[in-house]
Amino acid sequence: MSMPQRPTTILIAALGGEGGGVMADWLVDAASRSGFPVQSTSIPGVAQRTGATTYYLEIYPVPRETLGGREPVMSLTPTPGNVDVMVASELLEAARAMQSGYVSPERTTFVASTHRVYATLEKMQMGDGRFDGARALEGARQLAKRPVLFDMRELALANGTVINAVLFGAMAGSGALPLSREACEAAIRAGGRGADASLRGFAAGFGIAASAAAGGATAPGERRAPVRPGARSPLDAQQVIEHGVERLKEYQGDAYADLFLQRVNSVGTSDAALLAETARQLAVWMSYDDIIRVADLKTRATRFERVRREVGAQGDEPVVVVDYLKPGVEEVASLLPPFAGRRLVAWAQRRGKLDAYNVGMHLKTSGVAGYLVMRGLALLRRWRPHSHRYAEEQQLIERWLGDVREAATRSVPLALEIARCARLLKGYGDTHRRGRASFVGILDALVENPPMADAAAQAAAIRAACEAALADPEGQALSRQLGKKVIWLNPGATAAGATRSRA
Amino acid sequence: MERSFREEVGKLRLGDGEVFHGEGILAVTKALLQSGVAYVGGYQGAPVSHVMDVLNDARDILDELGVHVETNASEAGAAAMLGASINYPLRGAVAFKSTVGTNVASDALSNLASAGVKGGALIVLGEDYGEGSSIIQERSHAFAMKSQIWLLDPRPNLPKIVEMVERGFELSEASSTPVMLELRIRACHVHGSFVTRANRRPAHSKNDRLSEPDFDYGRICLPPATYAQEKHKIEVRWPAAVAFIREHRLNETFDGDLGHVGILCQGGLYNATVRALQLLGLADAFGASRVPIYCMNVTYPLVPDELVAFCAGKQAVLMIEEGQPAYIEDALLATLRRHDANAVRAHGKDLLPLAGEYTGEVVLNGVAAFLESAGIGTSGAVGQLLSAKKRAAELLGGAVPARPPGFCVGCPERPVFAAMRIAGRELGAFHVSADIGCHTFATLPPFNLGNTVLGYGLGLASNSAMQPMFGRRTVTVMGDGGFWHNGLTSGIANAVFNKDDGILVIMKNGYSSATGAQELPSSPQHSEPKADVAIERALEGIGVGWMRTVDNYRVGAVAQTLKEAMTTDYQGLKVIVAEGECQLERQRRLRPQVAERLAKGQRNVRVRYGVDEDTCSGDHSCIRLSGCPTLTVKDNPDPLRSDPVATVIDGCVGCGLCGENAHAATLCPSFYRAEVIQNPRAWDRLVAGMGRSVRRLLS
Repeated sequence: MSMPQRPTTILIAALGGEGGGVMADWLVDAASRSGFPVQSTSIPGVAQRTGATTYYLEIYPVPRETLGGREPVMSLTPTPGNVDVMVASELLEAARAMQSGYVSPERTTFVASTHRVYATLEKMQMGDGRFDGARALEGARQLAKRPVLFDMRELALANGTVINAVLFGAMAGSGALPLSREACEAAIRAGGRGADASLRGFAAGFGIAASAAAGGATAPGERRAPVRPGARSPLDAQQVIEHGVERLKEYQGDAYADLFLQRVNSVGTSDAALLAETARQLAVWMSYDDIIRVADLKTRATRFERVRREVGAQGDEPVVVVDYLKPGVEEVASLLPPFAGRRLVAWAQRRGKLDAYNVGMHLKTSGVAGYLVMRGLALLRRWRPHSHRYAEEQQLIERWLGDVREAATRSVPLALEIARCARLLKGYGDTHRRGRASFVGILDALVENPPMADAAAQAAAIRAACEAALADPEGQALSRQLGKKVIWLNPGATAAGATRSRA
Repeated sequence: MERSFREEVGKLRLGDGEVFHGEGILAVTKALLQSGVAYVGGYQGAPVSHVMDVLNDARDILDELGVHVETNASEAGAAAMLGASINYPLRGAVAFKSTVGTNVASDALSNLASAGVKGGALIVLGEDYGEGSSIIQERSHAFAMKSQIWLLDPRPNLPKIVEMVERGFELSEASSTPVMLELRIRACHVHGSFVTRANRRPAHSKNDRLSEPDFDYGRICLPPATYAQEKHKIEVRWPAAVAFIREHRLNETFDGDLGHVGILCQGGLYNATVRALQLLGLADAFGASRVPIYCMNVTYPLVPDELVAFCAGKQAVLMIEEGQPAYIEDALLATLRRHDANAVRAHGKDLLPLAGEYTGEVVLNGVAAFLESAGIGTSGAVGQLLSAKKRAAELLGGAVPARPPGFCVGCPERPVFAAMRIAGRELGAFHVSADIGCHTFATLPPFNLGNTVLGYGLGLASNSAMQPMFGRRTVTVMGDGGFWHNGLTSGIANAVFNKDDGILVIMKNGYSSATGAQELPSSPQHSEPKADVAIERALEGIGVGWMRTVDNYRVGAVAQTLKEAMTTDYQGLKVIVAEGECQLERQRRLRPQVAERLAKGQRNVRVRYGVDEDTCSGDHSCIRLSGCPTLTVKDNPDPLRSDPVATVIDGCVGCGLCGENAHAATLCPSFYRAEVIQNPRAWDRLVAGMGRSVRRLLS
C-alpha cells in the first residue's frame, strides 16, 4: 500500500472543565487500538477551570506493523491550513480557531458546538457586549470543507453526559477520523467511570453528524442556531404599544395605561421607527423598578415556579427562597410624599449619607412571614402616585418627551437618538443614580443646549455620548465626551476615579 | 491534589523490553529510575508539576529502590539538594519551572556548577515559553552559559527524551558538571510510547547508606578553590563534555540530496522543522528530508567541528533557534568565521522572528523564506496554507474576544478582590502590589487589581519603596504558596524590620493551587485536628502586631477590615489573613460526601444562587464585581428591553458571593438564594406547605 504523505491532524479547542483532556485520551486509545501511531499534546496551562485551552493530536492512519520499524515524525503544534479535524466546544472558540487559520476550505472538517459561553469581557459591559455569534456561525459554514455545527451542550444535557462525549461522537460520525466507531466506543468503555452516559452522548453526536455527512437534512441543531444577540426581530409600533399598555395596566392600573397612550400620541410622528422606540422606552420607564414593583414581581406564583426550574429542584423537594434587599435613604424617600421625600434626600445628600443607612435584609420570601412582608410592600401600589419618586420620574419623563417631540419636528433621526437615551436609566441605587446623571447630563449638554446647529451632527453627538455613558462605570468616557464631569458619587470616590484614569 | 497518578505509577515498574505509553513528564520520571537516581526533588509549577505529583504517588516503588524524594520548599531548595552529588557518587535530579524557577535556583546552581559533581546531577526544566505560558518570556540558555551547566534540548519524542535523560547523567559524570534537560510545555505533555528498561538500584541509597563523609577543600566555593574551579571548568570539564557529546553522537545529522543547503535546529524544534519541510514537499512522513538537517539535542556546549563539518561546502544554512538573544546563531557565526568557513551564508533571525515562540506557522514561514532565498521554489505553498486566515478575518469582521484563565467557580479569592473594589469606592484608589498565584488573575478584567508583579512570594518586598511614596496606605497580596516559598522572610520579616506601614493580605486557601493544589506546610492535611494556625503563629513570631483573620465570603466584613487597616492609627505592618479553602479542593472533598448522604436518604441542603430576570436591569455591575463563570448573561426575556440580563447557570456551587456583593455594594434586589432541600424531613415539608398555602391564598 502507498503510505500517506502526512498524518491526520486533529485540533481540539475547549474550555477548562469540559473534559477536553479525556477526549484526547479517548482518541489516543482508539488510535492505539487500531494499531496506528498516535501522538497527543496539550496546553493545559494553569489549574484553573476557566479560560480557553487546546489539545492537538496526530494519527498516522497505517498500522504500525506495516511500517517496517519506521516512525512517522509528528508535530507538536498545529499549522494553519493543515488541520483535518477542527473541534471547538463552543462558538467563540470556533471563531478563534477560524481566526488562527485552522479551518481551511481544502482540508478541514469543522466539528463545533453552536452554544455560547460568554467570556468575561463580553458579559461585564454595561450594555450588550456579546460577540456576534451569528456571524461566526455563518463564517464557519462558508469556511469549512465540511461543517458539522449544532448545539452539542444541549445534546449532552439531554443524554446526561458531558459535552466531550457528544463532540467525540460528532467527530467520529463525520467520517473524518481514520477510526472505526467500534474502536472509539471501546476507548470510552476502557475509560471506566461514567462510560454508559458517555456512550449515549457519543451515539447521539455520531447520529447527527453521520446523517449530515450522508447528505441528510441539516443537523437539527442548525435550526436552533443562536440569533444575533439583541437583534430579535423588532416589534412594530403597534405591538410595542400593546405590550406597553398591558405592562402599565398591571403596573399601576388603567388610568396609568391611558396616560401612556396619551403620551405616545403626543409625539405626533408618522415615523414608525420613532414611534416604536419612543413607546418602548416610555413603557419601560413608566414601569420603573421601585421597591413596590420589585416586591410585586418577587411574590408572583410564576416566580416561584421559575426559581424551582432554574435551580433544578426535583419532584417535591422544598425550595427555600431568600431575597437580598438593602433599602436605604433613597428607597424610603421614594415612598414618602414629594415634599418629605425631597427634603430627606436633600438632607442626606448634604451630609453625604445617601448610602449610609442601608439595611441589609435576608428575606425568606418563600416562608409565611417573609412573603407577608413582601406582599405588603407590593400592596403599596395604590400609594405610588402620591410618592416622591413618582413625581420625580413623571417630571423627567415629560421633559424628555418634550425634547423628543420638539426634535421630531426638525429631524426624525435626531428625535430617535434622544428617545434612545432613555436606555441609560436603569437599575437601582448607585447604578440608577449614575444612569440618571448621565442621562440628565446629555439632555443638558447636547439635547437642550446643543453646541451645534446641524441636526445630523447633534444626533451623532448624542449617540456617541450614550455609548460613552455605557463604556465605563466611572463615567470617564462620558465626561470626556461632554467636556465636563458627570458626578453622582461622593467627591472622594470621584477623585479616586480620576486618579485611576491617570494611573 | 488536582491530579492523581495512582493508576499511572504502575508504569514506573515496567522492566526490560516492555512498552510504556503515557505523558512526556511521566516518561522522564521512569527514565530517572532507569538511570539509577538516589534522590529526587523539585518545586511545583507548570509544566513540570506532575513530576513531583507522580513521585509522591509512587512512594512505595521509590522506597523499594531506596530513592529519597523531597518536595522542596522552593527551587533554591531543590537546586541546593543537588549538593549531595558534589562529594558523593549519588545520582540526583530535581525539576522545576523555567526560567522563573531557575532564577530562584540560580544561587545554588552557580555554586553547584563551580564545585562540580561526582554523581550525575540532572535539572529538569519545564520551559514555560510561548502559548499557554504564565510567566515572563526569557531563555534558560543564559543560565547554562553563565554557570557552564550543559543544556540538553532533545527531539520531542519519548524515546529520545528518555535516552537524553540517561545520557545526561553519563555526560554529567564524564565532565563533572551538572546538566539541564529543557522540555517545552508541549513536550512535557506529549503522549507517546517508548521501550523501557528495568529500574536501576542506586549504589548508595536509603537502603544502602553512605558511611564515610568526604572532605575536599577543592569542592568548597571559597577562594582559592573557586579560582581553580573556574580553570577546571574551562580546561577540563568543557573539553570532556564536548568529547562525550561527539563520541556518543548526542547531536544528529540527517542527510538529504539538496546538499548545497542545510538546516540547523534545536532538538526541541526538530519536529516543527520536519513538518515545515513536509508541507513544502521536501520531506516524507517519516522525516526523510531532501534538505540536510543538523539536530542539536545538546544546545550547550556546542561542538564546533560538527558545526563546521555540517556547514562546510554548503551555499547557505538556516539556524532555527527559538527565543532571544540568539546565542546559538551568534556562536555559529563566530565558529564558522574562526574556522575560515566563510563561503557559507548563515541565516537565522534575519528570516525568522527575533522574539516569540516558534510555532508551526512561524517555522514554516522561515523555512520557506530560506528555501526561496536559496533558489529552491516552494510554488506558493505557504500562501495557500495561510489563505484561510485571511478569509476568516473577512468573515468574522473583527477580533474574537480573549478568554484568559481566571478564578474558578466559587473561588475564595474572588470575594476578597470584590471587597477591595468596594472599599476602594470609599477610600479612593490605592496601589496594589500583586504576587504570583491564582490571585494574579485579579489583574485581569473585571477587577484589574494589582499594579505590579515582581515574582513569587515577592509581593511585599516589591512594595517596600511603594509604601513610603504614597499619601495613603498601599496593599500587597500574597498567597500562602508565596508565603512559604520566601514571602515570610523576604517580605514579612523585612517589612517588620524596616517598620513598613502597609497592608498585607495573605490568601490562605490551603494549597499551592495554581500549580495543581499541592500541599503546603499550612495545608489542612498537615495540621492537627484543631484549626490550622501555622501562618498566624509564624506572623506572631516574627513580630507582626496587627493581624486580623477574615472569612473571605463575607464581603462586607472584608471590606470593613480593609477600611480599618487603611485608617487605623497603628504604625507598622497590618496583616489580613483572608481565609477560604481552594474551592476545587473543597468540592473534591465534598462531592463524594454529598453523594453518600443522598444515597443513604439523609437530608441535604443544596444551595444555589439565581437572578430574577424581570427585576434585573441589565447593567451587569454584579458581573463587574465577580467574573464568576456561572454568573453570566442571557437574552432579555422582556420584549420591551434589549440589553441582556444576568443569570446564574448550572455549576454554581452556592459560595454566596453574589448575595454578599449585592449587599456590600448595594447593587440590586435581583439576587436570590435558593436552598433546595433534598430528602426532606416531615418538618421541612410542613414549613414548605405553610408557605405555599399562604402564597396561594394571597396571590
